[in-house]
Amino acid sequence: MRRMIFTVLLLLLSTPLHARTTETDAQVSPPPVTGSAPVVVTEDPLQRRMLEIAGDLRCTVCQNQPVAESNSDLAKDMRALIREQLEAGRSRQEIMDYFVERYGDYVLLKPPYDRSGTLLWAGPPALLLLLAGLAVYFIRRHTHQPTPTPAPQLTPEDQARIRAARKQD
Amino acid sequence: MTNSLSIYLIEFGHVAAYLALVVALVQGLAPIVAHIAHRPAWARVSINASVVLFVLTTIGFAALMHAFVTDNFSVKYVASNSNSLLPLMYKITGMWGGHEGSLYLWVWVLTLFTVVVGIHGRTRYPERLPVILAVQGWLSVGFFGLILFLSNPFERLFPIPMDGRDLNPLLQDPGMAFHPPTLYFGYVGFSVPFAFAMAALITRWKSELWIGLVRRWALIAWGFLTTGIVMGGWWAYYELGWGGYWAWDPVENASFMPWLMGTALIHSITVQERRRMLHTWNIFLVITTFSLSLLGTFLVRSGVLSSVHAFAVDPGRGFYILAFMVTVLAISFGIFLARGRYQEAEEAVTTPLSRESMFIWNNVLFSVGAASVLLGTLYPLALEALTGAKITVGAPYFNKVMVPVFLIIMLLMAIAPLVPWRKANPDRLLSRLLIPVTLGVTGVVLMLIVVRPLQWTAVVGVGLVAFVLGTLLTDLLRAVRQRQAQHPGLGLALGTLRTVLGNRRHYGGMLVHFGIAVIAIGMLGSGLFRLEKSVVMTPGEVVEIGGERLRFDGIVQAQGPNYTATQGRLTLLDSGRVLSPEQRHYPVQQMPTTEAAIDSTLARDVYVVMNEPSGTEAQRRWAIHVYFNPLVQLIWLGGVFVLGGLGMTLSFRVRKRAAAEAGAALPANR
Repeated sequence: MRRMIFTVLLLLLSTPLHARTTETDAQVSPPPVTGSAPVVVTEDPLQRRMLEIAGDLRCTVCQNQPVAESNSDLAKDMRALIREQLEAGRSRQEIMDYFVERYGDYVLLKPPYDRSGTLLWAGPPALLLLLAGLAVYFIRRHTHQPTPTPAPQLTPEDQARIRAARKQD
Repeated sequence: MTNSLSIYLIEFGHVAAYLALVVALVQGLAPIVAHIAHRPAWARVSINASVVLFVLTTIGFAALMHAFVTDNFSVKYVASNSNSLLPLMYKITGMWGGHEGSLYLWVWVLTLFTVVVGIHGRTRYPERLPVILAVQGWLSVGFFGLILFLSNPFERLFPIPMDGRDLNPLLQDPGMAFHPPTLYFGYVGFSVPFAFAMAALITRWKSELWIGLVRRWALIAWGFLTTGIVMGGWWAYYELGWGGYWAWDPVENASFMPWLMGTALIHSITVQERRRMLHTWNIFLVITTFSLSLLGTFLVRSGVLSSVHAFAVDPGRGFYILAFMVTVLAISFGIFLARGRYQEAEEAVTTPLSRESMFIWNNVLFSVGAASVLLGTLYPLALEALTGAKITVGAPYFNKVMVPVFLIIMLLMAIAPLVPWRKANPDRLLSRLLIPVTLGVTGVVLMLIVVRPLQWTAVVGVGLVAFVLGTLLTDLLRAVRQRQAQHPGLGLALGTLRTVLGNRRHYGGMLVHFGIAVIAIGMLGSGLFRLEKSVVMTPGEVVEIGGERLRFDGIVQAQGPNYTATQGRLTLLDSGRVLSPEQRHYPVQQMPTTEAAIDSTLARDVYVVMNEPSGTEAQRRWAIHVYFNPLVQLIWLGGVFVLGGLGMTLSFRVRKRAAAEAGAALPANR
């Protein structure tokens, strides 16, 4: 079973992923590329800043997806809105605040460090300390335990009995 | 279209499922009745029942499958998750594309595991077998109750719709055939250790007699879960089109929590086998791991994740699921509290610097990890239920909390394998650690010199990976040298081979560690050094990323079996390879999807997603998102090493009875 899964996994890893479509008609044929140097496009810096902000905002109609990655209409609108605001010269913080005002903390992928998030942020370190303390306690308790008393030595009579039994075999 | 045979078959399957519920009850009740009536022989009924249960569940499964394959849209579940145009493969996998079918798959895997345990246990542990099977019988009862009364995949529709509503396009992918079943084999696999632990508590079964068996079952379940998670990451990577593989989505967390606890368990069991320690703690770990598996299934399946309100929309199902969880937790932890210390602990002496202490620290860290994921996943639900406030706990939270935990785990992984059992001599340990630490420091220094801007996670992470690899190498070489000393003239290659094959259990584990280190490299590379560009292109233009030059050549229209696609054509100018990202349109569900195109080498992936066009008909411009993901392929490769190591560990069987009697008293084999 394990070997089979293993093989399947290997097969999967070596399979081309996009072999399922069949081309029908080429509506736009690839243009003939002439010898001249091709135009190199660069990323619009505003686009990068927009995506960075959109990456920290939750698409509120999706299941746990950032605005930057969602294809939903709402996410598209939100991206356009962020761009508009960036063009208007607003800062990242101002834009984030704008969305929090509209949607509440729900829109932030990283929950705020405030009263509602105390347990959330303090929980893991507190638990680490607690469990580490327990582990230290456990190890110490068992370290200080005296070694179990060794089995009592065989008396001469016992040894004689063993010898006798051996001889009988 | 639907024929009469298909109609009868689905009802036949439905009846089989009802009978299965009855048989599961018999399986669960048999040992109890036998105990009350003082007829021990009756208990064995549960063994026969488990076989019947599996056959009946399989009949139901086959009937549903048949309904899918023959497009029997009189079955509501088929009508909602399939379509006559759907390719055959996705009709079959559509079986677990929705809530009802997933639960049915779960219970089918459960009955399969039960039968295998029955066959395995007939000669090995015949007295305890009925109780073990009864525990699994009760779990089957719980699931069949949910399936038959609240989420029935056999439910019929009238009038019969002309066609089905189709499977969600995102699920129309080969990954669907492997990912969910593998994951379920993992989840359900942990029900076997759970059943053993329950049976042991109830019948006061001496733990030395069952812990070795549980170890193998736990390793098998862990292997399936690991495979499922890695394959899920790989699937998400190429299907979801955002260039990543893990988003800390609650659905992903649901599978990750039992994995973390299961990892603690498979380490902790070793301590008990070797040193007869942690016996009660291991039972606790077994129960927790399985509870998290159950919780994972239910979190994903109850709709509670999208919102507490979704849970309330369908109160019957939600309430049942909650009640079932509470019952399982209450009974198992109740029995644990009452009986957990049924066996006088022979806790051996330990020292702070010993392998057993290292394993305890492993358990601490993995428990903290699992609890943190649980906290982050359930926190928004709890907060909303208690205060009404809605917040999101997303990837930034989990990264912030979990990355440090992972790094400490790596540090432990780098030290622990070189620490001897019982008591380490600090000087000798330091000399053993010399090479690994040197490697680790070299890694740190290299990263400090090479990487700009400085990222402390990358520096520490790379240093720790080098440390771990150094430890693995030292561990192996020490054993090989010892062997060479005993057999003068033995070559290095042959000596290594004999050493590894001679102790497959240990070196299998080390190979798993190696796989984890490889995965860590892949995550560090792709997580911290990813480049991305979002550009607008017209045909003929070129975009540069990470030293690669990519020319956009235009688009072509393509036709799939049940969708139409707009395919982009991009050429990697250095290698001449062509990438074809797609925008697909599935007419039945009216859903557009994007298919990424990936060019992979071991060193990096170039990952292209094509978005919507803009501009006029004559001058179309396409939004194209390019990612440059260094080393991401190492994650899947590492997964293969992990599985290989696991297989190697499992291939090693302690030489039957003699070893079992010597048991934990066996000295460390070094």
